[in-house]
Amino acid sequence: MALKETRATSAMAAVLVLTGVLWYLRDPSWLASYSSGFHPWQIASDGRPYRWTKGHASFFVPSDARRITVPLRSVNETPQDWPVTATITIDDRVVDRVTFRDEDWHELSIRLPGNATRHVRRVDITVDRVRSRVRGIQAATVEVSR
Amino acid sequence: MTSARALAGLAALCLAGYVYVYTSGIAPEPIRSDGFSYYVYLPSVFLYGDTTLASVARDCCGGAFPENTGILRWPGTRRWVNVHPIGVAVMQSPFFPFAHALTRWTNLSPDGFTLYYQHAAGVAGVVMAVAGLAFVRLLLRPHFSDPVVAWTLVTLLLGTNLYHYATFDSSYSHPYSFLLVAVFMYLISQWYERPARRTSVLLGLVAGLIVLVRHPNALLLNLFWMYGLFLPNSATGLLRMYSRHRTELLRMAAVTCLVVTPQLLLYYQATGRLLVSSYGELGFNWLSPRIVDVLFSVTKGLFFWSPVLGLAAAGLVLLARSANRLRSFAGPTFLLLATHLYVIASWWDWQLGGSYGSRGFVDVLPFFALGLAPFFEWTSRSRARLTGASVVVAAAVFLSVFQMLQYWHGLIPFNDMTWEQYREVFLRWR
Repeated sequence: MALKETRATSAMAAVLVLTGVLWYLRDPSWLASYSSGFHPWQIASDGRPYRWTKGHASFFVPSDARRITVPLRSVNETPQDWPVTATITIDDRVVDRVTFRDEDWHELSIRLPGNATRHVRRVDITVDRVRSRVRGIQAATVEVSR
Repeated sequence: MTSARALAGLAALCLAGYVYVYTSGIAPEPIRSDGFSYYVYLPSVFLYGDTTLASVARDCCGGAFPENTGILRWPGTRRWVNVHPIGVAVMQSPFFPFAHALTRWTNLSPDGFTLYYQHAAGVAGVVMAVAGLAFVRLLLRPHFSDPVVAWTLVTLLLGTNLYHYATFDSSYSHPYSFLLVAVFMYLISQWYERPARRTSVLLGLVAGLIVLVRHPNALLLNLFWMYGLFLPNSATGLLRMYSRHRTELLRMAAVTCLVVTPQLLLYYQATGRLLVSSYGELGFNWLSPRIVDVLFSVTKGLFFWSPVLGLAAAGLVLLARSANRLRSFAGPTFLLLATHLYVIASWWDWQLGGSYGSRGFVDVLPFFALGLAPFFEWTSRSRARLTGASVVVAAAVFLSVFQMLQYWHGLIPFNDMTWEQYREVFLRWR
């Protein structure tokens, strides 16, 4: 009887812990600073900090933002390089597609959709080709307008 | 110390080491280097339903895998061929759905390479290494005292590079092979006691996985028929046993073939051939093996970087001379270790790339466990021996762990270590 009770208590505790962990992981605060698919930060010749994306990169922005500005540019290794096309999605919905035919910074201004259910929204950048060492395009610091 | 407690403690130590590696920032994400090409099948199949790897190449890498991943376009078909087979991914697959569900739940990018996927693959390696130790315990426990088994497990993990491949490089194939070889040995010992259908099926399954994880390890499957072969007057008895249980042998072989088939189909899909050497021009130098370098060199020498294995080798001699039932493994173990050594020493890159110690031998560490246990049993018979052995083993374990930490912190290079470099960093932290 005592053994059964101990087992029931342990099972209940396990369910509670699991529920707590899942509740926390639904919208954790660390997501705001999490990113994936980027090379380390560097400084451009104009002093702007940037990082190369790999084939697919993602980061998060606050969901109460109305608009974000994402500075992006492509750098060719040879004059014969094909232009890179980048697709930008927010929470898996395509919001913009850009083909980079020059090496200038392009300030992509993206309006965020409403009705967010979390503190942050996920922004994904996917490129259709990469340069050597899996370098896609350069992404500088994102500006957030509330 | 009981062996069960030792195992629990070692499991905790592996987990702690893994957490340290990825919270201290000394290593980037777990899916890296060889770990990438072993894992890449999972996102390809589960996220894109694609066995050609082309979808992952498009998403992760703009259409083409970098050369250093070892995933190359086959010249005739232009399809991707991975130098690393599917076995590790197959064994990681139970962890993948959890990672994917959590990724969706947290709204991370479901591309197969974000946080949860990374650590599912990393933790899978930790689990494999600990499970391997558990099977070594199961194999040894009926034949050795509990403290002897406990010290064998501790020495095997901490006195060799197993701990490194259970934590820092846990996404490599070695913890997987370590587990499979340990299970294979355990099942062999069971089958020769009672050749049951279930044991035969499991042996076939494990044999297939051994081949799927690392093709050259197919050589280790010879352990099955060699078991007990070198004992006096055993050959006739073994032949009679095989004849009596030929259905079980056929069952075993059939399961092995079934397990290996998906890999052959993948090779066929990519190249139009069932058997492929995806290394291209790179291969074996059978006439000039680097045996002394593989065993003793400062570069990657097995006994240089894991000196405690010298005691294990001596212990294998003790086992062969003993009346212990596990002595049936002794002769085959010597022969297969020699073959394994010859294969590694003949490979064009006998260092096996960047690694801590001789990583090719992690796969066969369960063989060395068969030597460590008799060695510890032998030392336990006299106080003087015990004291002497304790000092030597403690020193060897300390050196191994210290040098592993030096490797983690970049004081020991990934490869091509020289005597000058070694002398400069010997027992130094800065």
